[in-house]
Parts: sequence; structure tokens; C-alpha cells
Amino acid sequence: MRQVAFYGKGGIGKSTTQQNTAAAFASMGNKLMVVGCDPKADCTRLLLGGTRQLSVLDALRDTGPESVEIDTVLVKGYGDVKCVEAGGPEPGVGCGGRGVITAIQTLETLGAYKAELDYVFYDVLGDVVCGGFAMPIREGYAEEIYIVCSGEYMALFAANNIAKGIKKFGERGYARLGGLICNSRMVENEYEMVAEFAKRINSKLIHFVPRSKDVQRAEINRKTVIEFDPALPQADEYRQLASKIEANKDFTIPTPMTQDDLEELMRDYGIVD
Amino acid sequence: MQFKCNETLPERGTHIALKAAGGGCQRGDGTSCGIVSNSATTPGDMTERGCTYAGCRGVVGGPVKDAIQLTHGPIGCAFFSWGYRPHLADTDFHMKYTFVSDMKETNIVFGGEKKLLQSIIEANREFPEAKAVFVYNTCATALIGDDGRDVAKQAEEIIGKPVVFFECEGFKGVSQSMGHHVGNETIFRQLVGSIEPEGDFSRTINIVGDYNIKNDIRTFEYLFEALGLKIITRFTGNVGVDELRIMHKAALNVIHCQRSATYIADMMHDKYGTPAINVTLWGIKHMSQALRDTAKFFGLEAEAEEIIERELAKIQPKIDYYRERLKGKTVFIYQGGPRTWHWIELLRELGMETMTAATTFGHDDDYEKIFEQISEGAMMIDNPNVPEIEEILTKRRPDLFISGNKEKYLAYKLGVPFVNGHTYDTGPYAGFIGMVNFARDMDKALHAPIWGTLRNRARPAPAAHHSAHGFAHGFEEAD
Repeated sequence: MRQVAFYGKGGIGKSTTQQNTAAAFASMGNKLMVVGCDPKADCTRLLLGGTRQLSVLDALRDTGPESVEIDTVLVKGYGDVKCVEAGGPEPGVGCGGRGVITAIQTLETLGAYKAELDYVFYDVLGDVVCGGFAMPIREGYAEEIYIVCSGEYMALFAANNIAKGIKKFGERGYARLGGLICNSRMVENEYEMVAEFAKRINSKLIHFVPRSKDVQRAEINRKTVIEFDPALPQADEYRQLASKIEANKDFTIPTPMTQDDLEELMRDYGIVD
Repeated sequence: MQFKCNETLPERGTHIALKAAGGGCQRGDGTSCGIVSNSATTPGDMTERGCTYAGCRGVVGGPVKDAIQLTHGPIGCAFFSWGYRPHLADTDFHMKYTFVSDMKETNIVFGGEKKLLQSIIEANREFPEAKAVFVYNTCATALIGDDGRDVAKQAEEIIGKPVVFFECEGFKGVSQSMGHHVGNETIFRQLVGSIEPEGDFSRTINIVGDYNIKNDIRTFEYLFEALGLKIITRFTGNVGVDELRIMHKAALNVIHCQRSATYIADMMHDKYGTPAINVTLWGIKHMSQALRDTAKFFGLEAEAEEIIERELAKIQPKIDYYRERLKGKTVFIYQGGPRTWHWIELLRELGMETMTAATTFGHDDDYEKIFEQISEGAMMIDNPNVPEIEEILTKRRPDLFISGNKEKYLAYKLGVPFVNGHTYDTGPYAGFIGMVNFARDMDKALHAPIWGTLRNRARPAPAAHHSAHGFAHGFEEAD
């Protein structure tokens, strides 16, 4: 079982990329579980065709820790991908970070981590804002991490911050960066710049996902591109990404850049004047 | 001077000092500076400090007799802060009940504000006779950002009585001392001055910083009343919410505990111009002085002298009896704060000498007062830990240890006579008549028949007898 975590700036297309990659893996014959670690609970929507299952934390709150059953929180979606949402509080109250910890520990207690799984994906909210959102990359969970980004400054800034978090865990002997996934925003020199950024932080650009209207069309139909029309060129991009992840053996402890160096990089590639 | 247990923790040296010959300070790190206090705990120090929540809930807010005492946090925070201090009153609602919002895992994740509001409403419904709800914040609810102030405001509108929210999260300060500060500040801001009663308050005082441990108030309240003064507010032993609300009307603040309650007197001075005097309500000399100073403010000097003479005549034969039995004994006092220096003189009046003086959360001014009063050769130690206390008891060998419940069994195990000065096993110890109780308990501790039994039969073999944790055992050097 390989456990993989996806991090990246909010709104970058992280959950879309993650679900399409999961669908591609499933279409290639793999058994997967996707754990959504975002209080908004929107990390499995495309795999489930829009249906919203009860989140782990909702179940804990509504039925109590003793009565939660795995079948109420774990629903099979496209390609038999097992979908779980950690869930969490409404914006502005409680503690989402603690929620992630509680949810993952509950999944373990309930026996969700079955040996027959080939992959467990964690889709984690935005930046690593506190210890709770780093739970998926603690020891015993995701060992490889992919950062979804684009060539925009804020996306790379966030990626750099996430790299700092990974470095801390990496130095303790677990959690490695598997690479950057560029979800293109059609920024000038985007491929070159993200590839250079990846190199500078001691990683690599594992795949450049071009921008395509087919992603939005599939989304409106509550589907991944893979399910919507596997013959589309964009579906092939996600299959390529899945194959690259499958073959990836190059995991590193990242070396985050200083803010000055990051800005200089942006200047060199013509984004910042 | 050098503690064996501190060989690996040299930083503790700055918290320990001897009063050298000629009155100079000889600190553990070789300097002549005053000792360091009210500072962060050194890692490795097995400190006995409490937390900010404990200082606020347990000491300042807890004695208020007609408030619902509600902890916003996990259930254990409520249990372990309830009932351990015998801050009695003429009613026992505050001693019998404690309330908690009982934060559990899902409450922490989803936020505890709704449950807190519900808890306040429910507690008030069960006990409509309560005059206010005191809500104490804990670490867990502070970290998740529950807006307790806003909940208190909402609750106030619903239940129609004051809901006071104390931001006394445990991690806030270096010790419980910060909790006293929060308690003073919050009560002052939320309650004091919220009622404006009519009437003549020219002959009224507040007793500030007495918590009515085992009814201490009964030993001195009648003395002030005999002067013709009325105590309107006691901060906070045996006090009701409505009395706190009119506290600002008093003509004078008489401050007893000068660590946990000077803050409110200062704020009252700034806002209402209320004058204040510092007093000690323990021992003959200090209690007399307290009456004289208070009387002087009101021009009642002659009355004070009369009262003092009358009271002393009542207790003097008893004091003389105990003095005979206690004189020459050496004492190690370890209290939370000011009691340590309040008692040095009282013990001298009984012929006893303080050879070691310690506090848990004293500040510089407390240690200055201790240093002034102790004799040459005496030791002062800030926030002593268990191994240090053990070493003081076994190496400095005081005849008597006056401390609290935490240290009681350590003292007994080491065969050292002990009196509980924190919460009084019997008490009360304040005032003139309380001093007789204090002397009686010290006499009982020192002359208990058990010590003779231990000496003759029950002592462990002196050689190779070490306690399980490896520190020197008290019997080793006993003879």
C-alpha cells in the first residue's frame, strides 16, 4: 500500500487533479481509498458523481465514537475508489486541524486501512496551516507527497511553504517530496519556471497538466474526465500523471527557497517586473 | 547552600539565597543579587507550580458564594479545581457545586460556543437563585478560538444576570500568579461599580485578599466591626456577587494578601480614588498594627487601643503557655506567596525562628519582605521543587515544616512535624484568636507522641536505605 498526499494552494485545482489521478489509477486496475482532509468536504465529489456522504466527523458528532460504522462514512465511487471525507467545523469555529487528526485516527480504529489497497490518497486543505493539517504526513501515513501548483507567484509561494513543512517531517525520517504537479494556468514560461522552481527546491516537475475546457465540462457533469470521456486527450494527461507517479522512485527532502530567491526566480522568468 | 539535587540543574542557584553575616545576600550562583522569581520554569525542574486557570478559578473567583462556577473545558479541569481550597462562606453553594461545559473531542473540532451557551442557560435554570455565572476558559477552548466573551454577552441577555468570562487559559503565565491577575482584572471590569447604592459609606472598608480559609474572617471581622466600621466587600472570601458590584463604595481598601489582590486595589485607586493600606492579619504585632492603621484612617485610634488591649488580655495566657513549649524551635515555611513573610514575625512572637522561607509564586517584593525579616544564616528559595524540599528537610533539618497538602506526606514520611498552612487542617489561624489555634497545632505537631515511637523502634536501618526515586532519604543522617 502506497500512501500519497496532495498539498497545494487553495483554488489551484488540487482536488480536481487528485480525483482525476485517482480515477486514472483505478482505470488502470488499482484499488484506492481517497481521504479528503478539508473541512469543506469536497475532495471526493467527482468520484462520487456529486453525492455527499456523511463525513467522519459528522458521524462522530451525530452518533458518538462508539457507534460510528465504517460503511456509513466510506462510500465506493468511480472504479470502486473508496471515498472518505474527514469533514470538519463551519468556517470560523472549532478546530479543523484537530478534526483531521481525529478523523484519521477514527478511520484507523474502524479498520479502513485494508491490506488489499494499492493506494491511499490524502487531499489536504490549502497550506499546512497547523499541526493538524500535517497529520497525513506524520509517521505511518503518507510517505510521498505531491504539491499541486501553477506558475503564479502565490501558488509557488504556497508550494515553498509546504516544502518547509515537508522538510521538517523529512528530517525526522519520514515524508518525502515526490514532485510538483503543474496544473497550468497558461502563465508565460510556466513549464520552464515551475521546472526550475522544482529543481531549486531539490525536486522535479513530475507532470505538466495543460489547461483544458474538458475538465470543466466533466466537472459540471459531476465526473472526472476519465469517467466522462476516457478518449479525451485530457484523460490521457491524467493517465500519464498516474503512470509517472506509479513509476516514481525519486523522493527527496525539499530545500525551500528564501523569499528573495523566489522573487528573483519570478523576475528571471518574466513574471515579476 | 549547594543542593545535591541541583548538580545537574545549576540554573536553580539563582532562585536560592542565604542571608549572609552582616545582612548581605549570598545567592546560589555566587553573586550577591536578590533571588530570581516569577520567571519561566527551568526545564528539568520538578516544579509544583499551578496554572493560570487554577489561580483564577481556585483562588480568586472560586470563593464567590452565589455565582455558578462554570469551567469551559474538559471535565477534568472542573474536578481538579473544585473543593480543594476550603474557602468557606455562610452558604455552601460554591463549595457543593462545580459546573463544566464538558468539552469532548467533537466539541473541540466543531467548536464549543453553542455548548457553552447551553451550559450557562441550563445551569441557571437549575439554580435560578445564583446571582451570576462565572465562566473560566481553559487551554483547549482557548486554542480553538471559542469566543467566550461573546457567548457571555449573549447569555447575559438571555438569563438577565451577569455572566463573567475569565480569560484564564492555563498556559498564559509562568504560574498561577497570572490567574490572580486575570481574576482581579475581570471582576473589576465586569462587576465592580455596576450597582450604585444610596447611603452613607463613610465608615466602610473592604477586606482585600482574604479568602476565608476555614473561616479566617471570623477571627478578625468582629475586630473591625468593634471599631464601628462595616466591611462591605470581602475580596473574595465569603462574598456575594452583589457585594462585589458595590465594592467601589468603600472608603478604604484594607489589603491582606499582597500578591493575589493588590491589582484590584490599584485599579480602584485609579478609577475611584479609593485609598488603600497594606496589612497583615496574622500574629499579635501585625494584627494590632492593622487595627491601628485602619483606625488612624478613620480617626478611631483610642477605640483601637481599647480593642487591642482587651483582646490581648484574652489570649496572652495561652500564648505564654505555647511560647514556653515552642521557643527555640526552627521552622521551614513554604507557602504560595505572602503567607511566608506574614508569618516570620508571628513565629518570633512564639519564640520560633524561620530558618528557610519559600514561596511558589512570590514576586520580587515578596522576597524583599522575606529577606528583611529573616535572620542571618536563614535561606530563601523561590518555587522549590520536591527534591529540594526533601533536601531541605533532611539536611537543614527544621524542627517544623509549615506548608500545604502537597508536601504533607513527604514531611510525614521523612519524620518531620508538619502544619498545613495553606488550607489549615483545623484553623482558622488569622487574627488574635487564630494565633492561639496556630500555636496549638504547632505544639501538637511538634510534641506528638509518634516522634518518640519513631526514634525508638520504627526507624529504618540507616545504611543503604534509599527511596525509589534515588534522592537522599530523610532518615539517613537522623540521630
